[in-house]
Amino acid sequence: MTGQRRVSRRTALKTLSALGVAAVGGVIPMPPSANAQALGQNESVEEALKRLFGGKPMKDGAASIKLDVPLIAENGAVVPISVSVESPMTPTNYVKHIYVVADKNRIPVVTRVTLAPEAGRAFMGANIRLGESGDVRAIVEQSDGSLLVVKREVKVTVGGCGG
Amino acid sequence: MSDIGKVRLRVPSTIKAGDVVQVRALVIHPMERIERDTQGKIIQKNYNYINKVIATYLGKTVATFETTQSVAENPFFTFTFKATDPGQLKVQFLDTTGGRYEGTADIKFS
Repeated sequence: MTGQRRVSRRTALKTLSALGVAAVGGVIPMPPSANAQALGQNESVEEALKRLFGGKPMKDGAASIKLDVPLIAENGAVVPISVSVESPMTPTNYVKHIYVVADKNRIPVVTRVTLAPEAGRAFMGANIRLGESGDVRAIVEQSDGSLLVVKREVKVTVGGCGG
Repeated sequence: MSDIGKVRLRVPSTIKAGDVVQVRALVIHPMERIERDTQGKIIQKNYNYINKVIATYLGKTVATFETTQSVAENPFFTFTFKATDPGQLKVQFLDTTGGRYEGTADIKFS
């Protein structure tokens, strides 16, 4: 009787410990990438711009920003884009960030580029996805905190964001 | 699939001291896009995509790209840097599953 009881207690402990291991194991392989996903959220452009810039005034930057993106993108899955900004790129006056925002994408913020004065030229290029026809904006944040924006409409024949 | 993480860097063949050099960095990566169930709801999971690209030259960070899922599959990024001294250019790609891929190029003057 006592022997039997002992065995049952042991098995009970065993299962308990096994459960504990499983619980711990379940936690480890799921790193919550909340921080990583904070930049790209499923939201509207207005919300995204408000979240990133908090309603700071933006000036039209057509004079100094060159946004290079095709007028018609046949394949929305791969759209080449490049942004070039006229800037002296000295340690006191340089372009700090270049944001690329696609208005109609479910995740409007495409990329945020952080540049250092060592870059020599304020330039970035990438291949992006466009879900449907709409504006693509390039927002430039200079080292003094001022914001410049240009936008261009892109027609997309086949959307590339899926979902 | 086994090609994930292959990095290619393209640097001009002739560089002079003081030049502003344009570099193209390409990585083979699926950049998973958001999936939805039949009701159109987003499936919550840890999507595997590149969220950070760091370019360093002579140990100094020149450009950092923080990217989202709105960037195309097998993404390539272009950036510039000012070549002041011969040395190493390194580009690191980090994805959301903890993957870290990097490519290097030696900058020499001719």
